[in-house]
Amino acid sequence: MNPRRRRRAGGPSLPPGRVHVRTALAAAAVLAAGPAQAHLTNSGFGPFYDGLAHPLLSPEDILPAVAMTLLAGLGGARCGRFVLATLPLAWLTGMVGGWALGLPGAPAWLLAIMTALLGALVASDLRPPLTLVVAAAAAIGALHGYDNGRDLAATTGALVAIIGIACSLFAVVSLVTGQIVVVKAQWARLAVRICGSWIAAVGLLMFGWAMRG
Amino acid sequence: MRKIVAAFACLVLLARPAAHADEIRPAYLELREVAPGEFDVLWQTPMMGDARLDLEPEFSGEAVPVSPVVTRTVPGNAIRTWTLRAPALRGQTLRIRGLERTVTDVLTRIAFLDGTVAINVLQPATPSVVVQERQSRLALARSYVVYGIQHIIFGADHLLFVLGLLLIVADRWMLIKTVTSFTVAHSITLVVATLGFAHAPVEPLNAAIALSILFLGPEIARIWRGETSLTIRAPWLVAFVFGLLHGFGFAGALTGAGLPRGDLAVALLTFNIGVEIGQIAFVLLVVALERSFRQLEISWPPLIARAPGYLIGSAGAFWTIQRTAILFGVVQ
Repeated sequence: MNPRRRRRAGGPSLPPGRVHVRTALAAAAVLAAGPAQAHLTNSGFGPFYDGLAHPLLSPEDILPAVAMTLLAGLGGARCGRFVLATLPLAWLTGMVGGWALGLPGAPAWLLAIMTALLGALVASDLRPPLTLVVAAAAAIGALHGYDNGRDLAATTGALVAIIGIACSLFAVVSLVTGQIVVVKAQWARLAVRICGSWIAAVGLLMFGWAMRG
Repeated sequence: MRKIVAAFACLVLLARPAAHADEIRPAYLELREVAPGEFDVLWQTPMMGDARLDLEPEFSGEAVPVSPVVTRTVPGNAIRTWTLRAPALRGQTLRIRGLERTVTDVLTRIAFLDGTVAINVLQPATPSVVVQERQSRLALARSYVVYGIQHIIFGADHLLFVLGLLLIVADRWMLIKTVTSFTVAHSITLVVATLGFAHAPVEPLNAAIALSILFLGPEIARIWRGETSLTIRAPWLVAFVFGLLHGFGFAGALTGAGLPRGDLAVALLTFNIGVEIGQIAFVLLVVALERSFRQLEISWPPLIARAPGYLIGSAGAFWTIQRTAILFGVVQ
């Protein structure tokens, strides 16, 4: 808690030096926090199928991917094509990077905030420029992919699982975007926007969990 | 339907971890209680060349061999038999040592004197199981459904054949007719071969299945050139004829693992259900992806659009040569 606010609330005050140490420790703890779901799902069908199943069974991965595809779908076929070309490729690149480097990735709170923002963009039906959407797809793909790759580094058949994850994402992005671009009815667009609002809400919830440690 | 991306075809190949198509031959462990606490053991493991897979069954509790192990080989498999004394087998954990380093499965069947039978499928990811007090029919059915799904999704040759048919069919009605035809045909031979009314030797059968895939390659190329043929006009007919061959392949996988005699009907039915689940899921995925690509107005470069056709023809040719060479003993 901010020391000024603590004093206003009547709580015990701490010397400024200790406040800074505690703030730094809290920040470090948040920054060091990994994603909620680190291990690979065991499908029982081998690493490729484990990889295929992984994004589908990991909310922290599938939610931003779906938000991104909803946003791309609402933006039309051209936007959908660009995101289809960007997101799985960025995810794959990120995974290979995470697998090779193994250094800590983006903090969970940042990923959660990005998910919430993407959901909010879908819910608001804003049409960001194509360049921005593609950049967001690249960033989301690279950051989440990096985390996946780093978590997979210690597992057997990691590279096969990585290809499985990329194929799964390619299929998800194709299928979802392909269905959204043909949505014309007002109620259907509204349903897509409602999905976006739910994703935003879940993203905020995940942000809260990440901040709590 | 004809513009399915190369990436998807590659996915089919990637899904198959072993080098040889349709050759995930499972091991089979059968324990038959012949006297209280005494079991006749049959342990069948696949051979890779002259060597058997290094797999050994282990129990967590008292289980002592009381007879010498007798080993014999049949084409493709090593069979070991011995007698085991295990006064309290139920509740023990059965583990297949070395399974986690392979891509094969082990079908286990333990038949007790009281008539109860425990059947399980052990996989590299789950190489152990607790011998249950009693296994329900539902659990047995579940094991075979999973085994059926696994056989189709790891059977790159079956999936490539189905993909080839999908590339040939022109409309949705023809798709339904073709897939149904393939399903009916392979179900007929699966049942007939499993019940022992017909038999197809493994090596010629594998070569013939490979030939069925190779056969589709030129037919796909005909479509690119705007030509027609009986296969293009009536793909359901080709699906039926070659489906009969693929059914023998499915039966080989099922009987090769060893079938529970008392539960033959359940095993056969649920294995086939598993195969159909896997096949329908694959067809639906391909159709849905193709629809999405159309809605996204993606125009693939000709090389990528034709890559699945090239892949099917090339893989078919490779397997045909490889399996024919195996058939005539040129390679092992």
